[in-house]
Amino acid sequence: MGGAQRADRRRKQRATQAVGSARAVGSAAGGSGDRTRVVTAIAVLLVLAAAVIGGVLWQHSRSAPPPATAQKVDAAYTVQLDGAVVVAGADTAKVTIDVYEDFLCPACGAFEKRDSAKIEQALTAGTLRVRYHVLNLLDDRSNPPGYSLDAGSAALCAADVGAFPSYHASLFANQPSEGGRGHTTDQLVQLGHDLGITDSGFDTCVRSGKRKNDVSGQLQAAMADPSLRRAGSGGGQYFGTPTVVLAGTVVDLSKSTWLDDAIRSAAA
Amino acid sequence: MVRDVLGTLVRVGLAAVWLISGGLKAADPEQTYLAVSAFDVLPAGFVGPVAAALPFLELAIGVLLLIGFGVRPAAVASVVLLVAFVAGVGQAWARGLSIDCGCFGGGGPVDPSRTRYPQELARDLGFLLLAAWLVVRPRTVLAADALLRRTMVGQPAVAEDGGR
Repeated sequence: MGGAQRADRRRKQRATQAVGSARAVGSAAGGSGDRTRVVTAIAVLLVLAAAVIGGVLWQHSRSAPPPATAQKVDAAYTVQLDGAVVVAGADTAKVTIDVYEDFLCPACGAFEKRDSAKIEQALTAGTLRVRYHVLNLLDDRSNPPGYSLDAGSAALCAADVGAFPSYHASLFANQPSEGGRGHTTDQLVQLGHDLGITDSGFDTCVRSGKRKNDVSGQLQAAMADPSLRRAGSGGGQYFGTPTVVLAGTVVDLSKSTWLDDAIRSAAA
Repeated sequence: MVRDVLGTLVRVGLAAVWLISGGLKAADPEQTYLAVSAFDVLPAGFVGPVAAALPFLELAIGVLLLIGFGVRPAAVASVVLLVAFVAGVGQAWARGLSIDCGCFGGGGPVDPSRTRYPQELARDLGFLLLAAWLVVRPRTVLAADALLRRTMVGQPAVAEDGGR
């Protein structure tokens, strides 16, 4: 009897234990569900963080500055400085144009590519005088920002030592793309050396940013001058680069014969 | 179950949005930089890193949603990003900037006659609805989450049956 009672009790005990452990397993299952959610959320955060960090590192590694190779121009004409304006060509030339350029501006690059040979020819022939206004209109369009100002100021430093035509041509021949990295200060200095500049004043001028105020001064003056504005398709008037002004009027550069026409009508 | 299938379409749809927009941005980092800079909200030093990271952030969210791993947190990240985009486009419109959002590549300053702020906002708000659906109801079929749920919860369920 006693044995049977004991066995019965033991059986009941085992049954309760079984139920208890089943409950324990049940709640453990719920707990592991929560844990799965937490682990998943952390994994998602890690994946997103890895994407962000990876993206920044990749961008950093690929954005080497473009090479700045020397492009020599044998300028057989005088180049002087009128404040911050670089004046190329003879005083006796019948045609004088004002050119407003930014070294980052793609349209300026296209303009130089198409017309620089003709301009060079006319300068050499003594029929044309060009007043170059170097501006930093697109300072925020390089990554990091500020290439327009660096390049413009370095070009004026080159003008100070009589190397503007080659320096100007080189910067446009190796133009960095908008939204990309511009030439570094080291490259801007080295370009001068490659073009044969030996004056150490040039290095100091480029590195100290001595001519930066002149460049931004040119931009302010150009922005403030209503005669430099042209009509935008939205109805407003705006100043953009490149802008070429001939006898007080903004030249329509879409007409590729604009320079020939100007020289011909001045000769007539 | 029908709603799970509908949720799957929402998930794959939103994944496609992120993969396409992230892919187009990653393919043209210079344009992406110009697009981010055109919003004119970030300090100069932040434009570069944000433009570099954004395409890959979008791609990562897209991949997570596509395979269905961590759908709810990925959907929350989508909501955060889309709200930031809506705020960015909204402030550009309010301030009278003339830019293209560059949401799917391109971007940067455009002619005032070519801005498309209402369309851009409507599109982003539509995407926001998709993301919100997945935040509220992340359960979908053909998802890595479902697979995980089955393996993690499935094993103890077997033990429970065995205990009886």
